[in-house]
Amino acid sequence: MKYEFTEDELKQIEVIKARYPEARPATLPVLWIAQNKFGHVEPDVQKLVARTLGLPEAHVHGVAEFYTQYYKKEQGKFVLDVCTCLSCQICGGYDILHYLEDKLGIKHGETTKDKMFTIQQVECLGACGYAPMMQITNGVYVNHLTREKVDKVIHGLKNGEMPEFEPMEMRKVKPQEN
Amino acid sequence: MPEVFIDGKSYEFEGQPKLLQFIMDEGLELPFFCYHPSMSIPANCRQCMVKVGQPVKDRDTGEYELDENGERVIRWFPKLQTACNFDVTDGLVVKTQESDELVERAQKDNLEFILINHPLDCPICDQAGECPLQIQTYKYGPEGSRFEVKKVHKPKRVQLGPRVILDAERCINCTRCTRFADEISKSYQLTITKRGDKNYPTTAPGETFDDPYSLNTVDLCPVGALTSADFRFRARVWEMNQTPSIDVSNGKGCNIDIWTRDNQVLRITPRHNPHVNDYWMPDVGREIYPLFNDNRISRPSVILDGENQIKSSWNNAIETFGEQMEAIKPEEILAIGSAHASVEENYLFAKFGNLLGISTPLFTPHIEPGSGDGFLITDDQAPNTNGVRLLGFEETDSKQLKTAVKSSNAKMILLLSDHLIDRGVLSADDLSGKYLVMFATNESETTKKADLLFPITCVVEHAASYVNVDGRIQRSFPAKETKYTNRRLDLEMTEGRLDRYGTKFDNWVTDENKVDCLPVWDLMALIGGRLGLDITYEGGSREVIKEVSQNMPAFSGVTYERMDDELGIELDTEHQTVKS
Repeated sequence: MKYEFTEDELKQIEVIKARYPEARPATLPVLWIAQNKFGHVEPDVQKLVARTLGLPEAHVHGVAEFYTQYYKKEQGKFVLDVCTCLSCQICGGYDILHYLEDKLGIKHGETTKDKMFTIQQVECLGACGYAPMMQITNGVYVNHLTREKVDKVIHGLKNGEMPEFEPMEMRKVKPQEN
Repeated sequence: MPEVFIDGKSYEFEGQPKLLQFIMDEGLELPFFCYHPSMSIPANCRQCMVKVGQPVKDRDTGEYELDENGERVIRWFPKLQTACNFDVTDGLVVKTQESDELVERAQKDNLEFILINHPLDCPICDQAGECPLQIQTYKYGPEGSRFEVKKVHKPKRVQLGPRVILDAERCINCTRCTRFADEISKSYQLTITKRGDKNYPTTAPGETFDDPYSLNTVDLCPVGALTSADFRFRARVWEMNQTPSIDVSNGKGCNIDIWTRDNQVLRITPRHNPHVNDYWMPDVGREIYPLFNDNRISRPSVILDGENQIKSSWNNAIETFGEQMEAIKPEEILAIGSAHASVEENYLFAKFGNLLGISTPLFTPHIEPGSGDGFLITDDQAPNTNGVRLLGFEETDSKQLKTAVKSSNAKMILLLSDHLIDRGVLSADDLSGKYLVMFATNESETTKKADLLFPITCVVEHAASYVNVDGRIQRSFPAKETKYTNRRLDLEMTEGRLDRYGTKFDNWVTDENKVDCLPVWDLMALIGGRLGLDITYEGGSREVIKEVSQNMPAFSGVTYERMDDELGIELDTEHQTVKS
C-alpha cells in the first residue's frame, strides 16, 4: 500500500518544522500526524515520514520503535492497554487482563477478527491510585476496573461510546468551607 | 600552569581536556566502553565513574580554604561522575578505582549490571581475546552475578549488511556503531531500536548496512555484537600475529595492521594515524587480503616455445634473462615502472635500467575518476603514484603507453608489477612479438603473457615505502615469511605466540604458505651479478631507501626510523625531481 500525505497535511508539517531549528525534533509530531491518519506507523509509513522530513530512515525507525504509543503494525480500532505493573497487579490487573482476553477471545498482543479491539499488556501508566486500570488508544484512562465495568466499557465501545475520563475520587471531595 | 590531582598525585594540564582522555594520556587507567576519542561523548555506558571534587575558595580573598592540617578543603560532588564528559579544571581532585573503594564498587556493580543479559559465550565469540568487556570484567568486575534469572533473548546472527553480522544479545548499547554511521561515515544507516533491556542496533526495515566503511563498526564494537561476516570463526585473535603495514588498495595509504597465522593473512584492521586515516579504513582495503595468500606466483616461469609457461629454477631464469639482455641493444628495451610497487622497488628497477643504458622507465597512473569519496577512498587505485612521480619516472597516459609498447623500437619490455592487460591499458595483442620480462606478485592475464616471469615479494613480505596521494611516505613491515626469510632471524618481523611456540604437530601450524619469491633488491643483486653489475644491498630495503634519500632531493632525510617515529613523513611533492 502506498502512503502519502495530503497537501493540507504537508502544510501542517511545514508549520511544525518551522517551530524548530532543524528537522529532527519534528519527528515526533509528524509521526503523530501519520498515526492519526493511517492508524499506525508501519515501516512504510516511517519511510514516508523520513522522506517528508528529509531525515534518515533509520532515525525515524529508532524513534518510532522507542515509544510504545506509536503502533508499528496495524491495530484494532480500540487499543486496550491493560496495566499489570506492581500496583495494578496487586489489585487484580492480571484478573482483568485474563477476563478481557477470554471475553474477546484473543491473547494480549492480538487483534480481534473484526479489527475492533487490540489488547496490550503494559507497564505502569502512572495511575497507581486507581488500580487496576487500562488505557484506551493512547487516550482515556478507565479506572478501578471490575469485570462488570469491563463488560460495560466493551459494550459501550462496540456502540461507539468512548467512556468519559473519570476524575480522581479525591477531587470529588468538596473543598472545606471556611 | 593549572593542575589536577588524580589519586593524590599532581598533574599539570593545558587547554580543556576531558577527564577520561586526560587520564589515558597520562598513562593511567580507567575502564570504559562507549567513549571514543574521535566521536561524540554520550556517557551512556556509565563505566568510567570517578569521585571528583573542587577545592573550596574563600569568596572574598580568593584563597583556598584550608582545614586544620593545612590541606585544601574539598567539596565533593554529591554523586560519582562519568570521567569521559567531565571537564578537567584547575585544582580538581579526582579519585579513581585505585584510591577509592566507592569508585571501585561502582565500577564493579556497573559491570554486573551490564552483564545481566550478556550471554556467557566467550568460548565461541569472535571478540574473545580482544574484548573490552571481557578484559574489564577480569580486571574490575564482580566474581559472580546476583542475577540468576533467565536472560533476555534478542535476535542473533542478523545479517545487517553484506559484511557485518549482528548478535543483539551481546550488545551493551554503547551506541558506538550508530554514532560512527552518523558522525564519521555519514551513512546514517544504523539506529538503536526498542528500549530498556530489549534494545539493540539495527537498520531501518528493509535497509541493508552497506556503508563502504561498515567494518569499522566491528572494530569499534566493545563486545562481540558486531562481527565481520568474512572473519567470523576464522581464527582466535591470540593465535594470530599482528604486523603494522600500509593499505595498498588505493592511494590514501591507510595505516593498517596485518593479522597473520601460519604465514597466511587472515584479516586487516586499521591502525591509528591522525595524519592519514585516524582510526578508520574503508572496507575494500580489508577485502584485498586474499591477494597476499592466493594466486601468488611462486618460482620463476619461462615461455620456452609457443604459449606454454613453465616453472623454472632461479638459476635458469636469471641465466635466460642474461642471455636475452646480451642479445639486445639497450635502446630496444622499454622499461615500465609501477605505481603498485614501492619506492624502493621502482628505484632499483630504474637504477638497473640506468646502469645498462636503458632510458628512464615510463609509468601510467592507475586512476579511476569518480571512484573516490573524498574521505578514505581515492580515485587513485595504486598506493604509490606520487612515489613513482617523485622518482622522476616518465608519466604517460594509457594511450601513450600503448603506443610506446607497440612501437617497433621496443623489442623487449621490462615490466614491474603492473597488470596492464587486466586493467585495460594494453591488450594481449599489443605484446605480440615482444619479449616481456615481468616482475610480479600475483598471477593475472598479464603475467600469463610474460616470456620470463620473476616472482617478487608483496607488501606483506617486505619492508618498503609508499607515497600516498597527499605526498606522505609510509612504510610496511614484513608480516609473512617467504621461502627465504625466517621470523626468528629477521628482526624486522614480529613473532606471535603460535610462531614462537607452535610446532607442526599443533593445529594451524604447517610449513606451507611460504611463497618462493624474492624481494626486488635481492633479485637485482642476482641479476646484476650475472650481467656484471654491482647492485648489492646487504641491508635490504633499509639501505635502498638510504640511497634514495641521498640521491633524490625529494626524498632527502627520509629514513625508516623517521617514518616509524613520525608515522610517515610529509614529502614536498611540488619539488622538482632530478631524473635518475
